Amino acid sequence: MELLTRLTFVSACLFAEWAVTFIAVANCSSSPSEMNGDSALKLPSADIPVAQKSTLGSFYSLSLSSTFPEDLEVNEYCTELLRIYGQRYVTFANCLVTYARPVRVCQNCYTGFNSLEDIYKNISFDKSAPGNVSCHDSLMRSDRLMLLYTLFIKLDEIWTSAECKQCLNEDQDALSNDTLYFMATLNQSLSCFEQYQRNHTELCKDCKTSYKRLNEVYGRMEKNQMLCIDLEDAMNMTQHLWSKNFRCLLPREETVPVIAVSSFMLFLPIIFYLSSFLHSEQKKRKLIHPKRVKSSSSLMNIQDKFS
Amino acid sequence: MANISKKVSWSGRGDDRGERTPLLNGAEDGKYNRHLSGGGIFNIGRLSTVDLEEITPEEDIVRSRPKEIPHNAKLLSLKYESLDYDNSENQLFLEEERRMSHMGFRCLETRRWVICGLIGFLTGLIACLIDIAVEKLAGYKYSAVKQNIEKFTEFGGLSISLILWAVLNSAFVMVGAIAVAFFEPIAAGSGIPQIKCYLNGVKIPRVVRLKTLAIKVFGVICSVAGGLAVGKEGPMIHSGAVVAAGVSQGRSTSLKKDFKIFEYFRRDTEKRDFVSAGAAAGVSAAFGAPVGGVLFSLEEGASFWNQMLTWRIFFASMISTFTLNFFLSIYHGKPGELSSPGLINFGRFDGDSVQYNLYEIPLFIIMGALGGVLGALFNVINYWLTIFRIRYIHRPCLQVMEAMLVAAVTATVSFAMIYFSNDCQPLGQDNTEEYSLQLFCADGEYNSMATAFFNTPERSVRSLFHNPPGSYNPLTLGVFTLAYFVLAVWTYGLTVSAGVFIPSLLIGAAWGRLFGILLSTITSSQSIWADPGKYALIGAAAQLGGIVRMTLSLTVILVEATGSVTYGFPIMLVLITAKIVGDYFIEGLYDVHIKLQSVPFLHWEAPPTSHWLTAREVMSSPVTCFNRVEKVGRIVDVLSNTSTNHNGFPVVAHTTENDEPGKICGLILRSQLIVLLKHKVFVERASSRLSHRKLQLKDFRDAYPRFPPIQSIHVSQDERECMMDLTEFMNPTPYTVPQETSLPRVFKLFRALGLRHLVVVDNENGVVGLVTRKDLARYHLGKDGLEELHLAQT
Repeated sequence: MELLTRLTFVSACLFAEWAVTFIAVANCSSSPSEMNGDSALKLPSADIPVAQKSTLGSFYSLSLSSTFPEDLEVNEYCTELLRIYGQRYVTFANCLVTYARPVRVCQNCYTGFNSLEDIYKNISFDKSAPGNVSCHDSLMRSDRLMLLYTLFIKLDEIWTSAECKQCLNEDQDALSNDTLYFMATLNQSLSCFEQYQRNHTELCKDCKTSYKRLNEVYGRMEKNQMLCIDLEDAMNMTQHLWSKNFRCLLPREETVPVIAVSSFMLFLPIIFYLSSFLHSEQKKRKLIHPKRVKSSSSLMNIQDKFS
Repeated sequence: MANISKKVSWSGRGDDRGERTPLLNGAEDGKYNRHLSGGGIFNIGRLSTVDLEEITPEEDIVRSRPKEIPHNAKLLSLKYESLDYDNSENQLFLEEERRMSHMGFRCLETRRWVICGLIGFLTGLIACLIDIAVEKLAGYKYSAVKQNIEKFTEFGGLSISLILWAVLNSAFVMVGAIAVAFFEPIAAGSGIPQIKCYLNGVKIPRVVRLKTLAIKVFGVICSVAGGLAVGKEGPMIHSGAVVAAGVSQGRSTSLKKDFKIFEYFRRDTEKRDFVSAGAAAGVSAAFGAPVGGVLFSLEEGASFWNQMLTWRIFFASMISTFTLNFFLSIYHGKPGELSSPGLINFGRFDGDSVQYNLYEIPLFIIMGALGGVLGALFNVINYWLTIFRIRYIHRPCLQVMEAMLVAAVTATVSFAMIYFSNDCQPLGQDNTEEYSLQLFCADGEYNSMATAFFNTPERSVRSLFHNPPGSYNPLTLGVFTLAYFVLAVWTYGLTVSAGVFIPSLLIGAAWGRLFGILLSTITSSQSIWADPGKYALIGAAAQLGGIVRMTLSLTVILVEATGSVTYGFPIMLVLITAKIVGDYFIEGLYDVHIKLQSVPFLHWEAPPTSHWLTAREVMSSPVTCFNRVEKVGRIVDVLSNTSTNHNGFPVVAHTTENDEPGKICGLILRSQLIVLLKHKVFVERASSRLSHRKLQLKDFRDAYPRFPPIQSIHVSQDERECMMDLTEFMNPTPYTVPQETSLPRVFKLFRALGLRHLVVVDNENGVVGLVTRKDLARYHLGKDGLEELHLAQT
């Protein structure tokens, strides 16, 4: 699953770069710079469906050679919006990939998501655009690819499936108190683990209280649906450490009583069936003799037919 | 004495010494008597008498008192009667039909549709009630036990959790079993055998009463919540049938409430048609399979079928599944989202991983054969167990105790399995297991045995179908299959109301999944055999088919329940194979139980190699007949004779005391005679009756279905001397056959027309005998040819 998510991140990221074409080199970690914006300004004029169908390599040479009449081109305001969208997209995608493993996306990327969502909404619900064509129509719905839309939806899906909103406060602009509390508890446990790294039996005994508290906090948050992928992943790792690395498992000590009680229970039906067999009166059925044709000729006939 | 010798067929109650007197005159008679009644099987086919017990020395004793034998499968009980499916076209009927306008018939048709709609609606509601109640109760139980187990895993004392689980189970089951055993024993089991019999035309006492429905619903909830290896689907069919019988009559005799509606439908013909709609609605609600429901009715009770009836039944089924769906969607908080059409939800089988390939079909057939063998094993064990239960565990308190023991043992076995299982699986991301147990597994993992045992059976089936590959290890599945098989065999036939569908599916799904896993380990080519879920489905179908041996309807039910037509072909193949293989060993579970209940059940065809038997050998003779104008005293005497419970009496032109048989001119039923006596329709009162209103068909319907016993009708000494004219009330055109008609021919007539009495006449139309259902049902094909069943009092 995580691998898949990461792949999605990477591909989404790649998409982003190709689409907005700020960055010539396909390298997610390269941060976008404002000076690239100027070249991006030219982009709308170059945004020809035919050209997009052609390969990326011949993009510039083709695009420069052709322009459209004024009214079909994207106006400046929209171009500006597009530029900002691109920037924020890259920032967010970059953040996602950076914090993919161990998963820390919710804690670190919520600002990126919020700003991306803002600009997307701006474009979608843009009414104040000068001219008769709104940016929403010109940017999002003029070709069959509908790139801006698809790109955003992909990332939005990722964000939704990560359930990051549950870890943030109501305004979505900071981590919620419960999340912070959980992380504090988690840190306590981890530092305890650190302390007893050598001796696992000691660790199992001494860190049990903090680990148990962590479990309780986690369980409560799970019940209240306040978990996001960050916390789930952190908890998963901790549980793995606890059970697999330190082998703090519960001993199976009660085999004897369980066997005793079970065999007693299994013994009961045998007694029951035996006693009912021996003591219960067997149910008998009274046979009734039906009336048939009185003469015996019928029976004789049957016998004749077969002898 | 003359009267007695005229009696028709079976003497039911009390001492039948008087009845046998005529049989004892003559040496040949004695011989005949011995052959038929000596406890041995009268083996006609090979012309030998196989005596099961040594009876020859006690032959004289046999003659003087009734022979008693332990209960077995080769008996026919006297307590079952036929339904009067055949319409009596007497003068009253003709008059009523004449009176009714064209509009009246239209209204009647509309009313039938309304009734079918109501049947579907109410059945759906009942299914909804059962579903919610079971979910709630099982939820409480499992969360209590789970908390307890979690607490004791850490601090020790798990044996206490075991006891808690067992006690909770037993408590639920005890309540359910008490209700069934003490208040309405007919509500025990799945009810499908009983409904099958009803649709076949046998009146099973109390089977379609409101009280039975109440006990049934309550019992199902208790036994499923009590964690027995049972399902809640089978009883839905019974519930639907009861709803249909109740609604169509517009009244409840249990509640003594008459709504004065639907009075026209108060007779066996109409009621039985509605009951088939109810059974279909029940199937439909249970599995979300409306077409399967219709086909179930078609398969089980369809000797008389017509297009309009089928269409109405389909309507009832659709309404039922829709109602359930709608109300469950409200319950789940998403009104209008119709996503749970049946009680059992198999989940969706779609996506590429569950497609099958041509080369898998031989594997499916092998699985079908395996299912047939396992199903036959199930039925054989259950057969012996049921015989033991009938013979020795017949007292209600013993039955309740047995049910409680089974519940406790089920809990114990489950707990032991879970406790000793080392199969730990990581918690899935979708977290389908509602009550996952960790026990000794690592944190973040759950005990995989617990998903199978610590759950309601339906949920276990679903996880076997849909959990991703690798959720179960083979050992877990193997042990689970074995344990659950034993528990399910043991459970079916207890005095609790519960069905066998789900346990069969569960057993099959478990070994099917095991089969799938083994395949993938053997072939090691991951991609093709990757999904064990589809093998679980095929295994489930094979096991269920091997146990119940239904064909067409089961295929459609499974296809509809899984929602994938793609699997129609493999499921059909599997069911065919399972049926062929299983039938080689023993018949289906429902048929086994029908036999053990000694029901005179008529199969589709007369037994083969029976063409040489003629109506003369089959019929009962001599027949008790009435004259066209009969003395009241004689009628009362015949009806109140406790040693006979004849129901139909041929009406003859005149009977003489000599042997000359009277000419047939009609047939009258006991119920009609009782109504006539009650209203004192005597010839002598005809003059005074003119001032009263004339007797109508409505008077007969009002008494239906529980006609008062003859003892409750007082006939004074004067009245005994009166005469009664039966001409107006008898069925003037009963079906008759000549004496030489072969058994298959009689059988066909009986089965296809739903007859209750068939008069056998000689060349001069004189009544010589009467064929009833029990005369026909007693022949069956045994190991050594044609065998005859005994009549017994149960």
